[in-house]
Amino acid sequence: MTAHRTRHAGRSRWFWVGLMFASFGVIAALRITDAIGETTGFILMACAMLLIVPLTRAGLAHQRTTGHLSPAVARYTRRFMIASLGYMLGLGIAITLSERMELSGVGAFAIALLPVLPIFAMIWTMARYLIEEDDEFLRHRATMASLAGLGLVLAAGSFWGFLETFGVVPHVDAWWTFPVWAIGMGIAQCWMSWRDRAGTES
Amino acid sequence: MKNRLKVLRAERNWSQQDLAQRLEVSRQSVNAIETGRYDPSLPLAFRIAALFDMPIEAIFAPD
Repeated sequence: MTAHRTRHAGRSRWFWVGLMFASFGVIAALRITDAIGETTGFILMACAMLLIVPLTRAGLAHQRTTGHLSPAVARYTRRFMIASLGYMLGLGIAITLSERMELSGVGAFAIALLPVLPIFAMIWTMARYLIEEDDEFLRHRATMASLAGLGLVLAAGSFWGFLETFGVVPHVDAWWTFPVWAIGMGIAQCWMSWRDRAGTES
Repeated sequence: MKNRLKVLRAERNWSQQDLAQRLEVSRQSVNAIETGRYDPSLPLAFRIAALFDMPIEAIFAPD
């Protein structure tokens, strides 16, 4: 029964991930081919982003079956979902405004804050998780994953910076640090989950 | 560190989930400790020892 529930929760989770990325792909393709305008593209992207809600629910259900769901994880997931929705909204508004008006000074500063404030919220959410998690092993895992993400940012950023200095690669905007850190953290979490599954179970 | 957690658990016919609930930790924590991938903190080691009513050194030993 438990195995059946686990398989079902896993399938649901990946179904929502697939649907969300497929939606992003279709909307991006429509936008690139000029089949839809900027505003329509933004609205469709915002709607596709709402898929993060069922994805979060499926993720929580999966974590419950694998024994990873603590109250702190549940709070972290909900806070991160809200911050992600805020990021998508802030990013969409910032891009739309930057394409329609000349930005400078205080205005540019304020508009740059629109997608950045939700990123601050994501960083705060991660910090709160490490503080609130009572399960020391889960806290240890999250800390190691964060350090892996940090290692990837520092390594990739330093290497890319020198390549850029030598004129080998194009310039990359500094806001990539957070996604690269999150990717590193995600890879580390996946690797640790795989290692846990490979461990003895009874 | 080596430990006898799996044997002690089996003697009581407890699943990993049973032990996890008694210790108020995740099942993954129990699994990681049993398989030697994670060494518990001193407070958790004391909780484990108290649960099995044994001294810590009867459960955990250096490699």
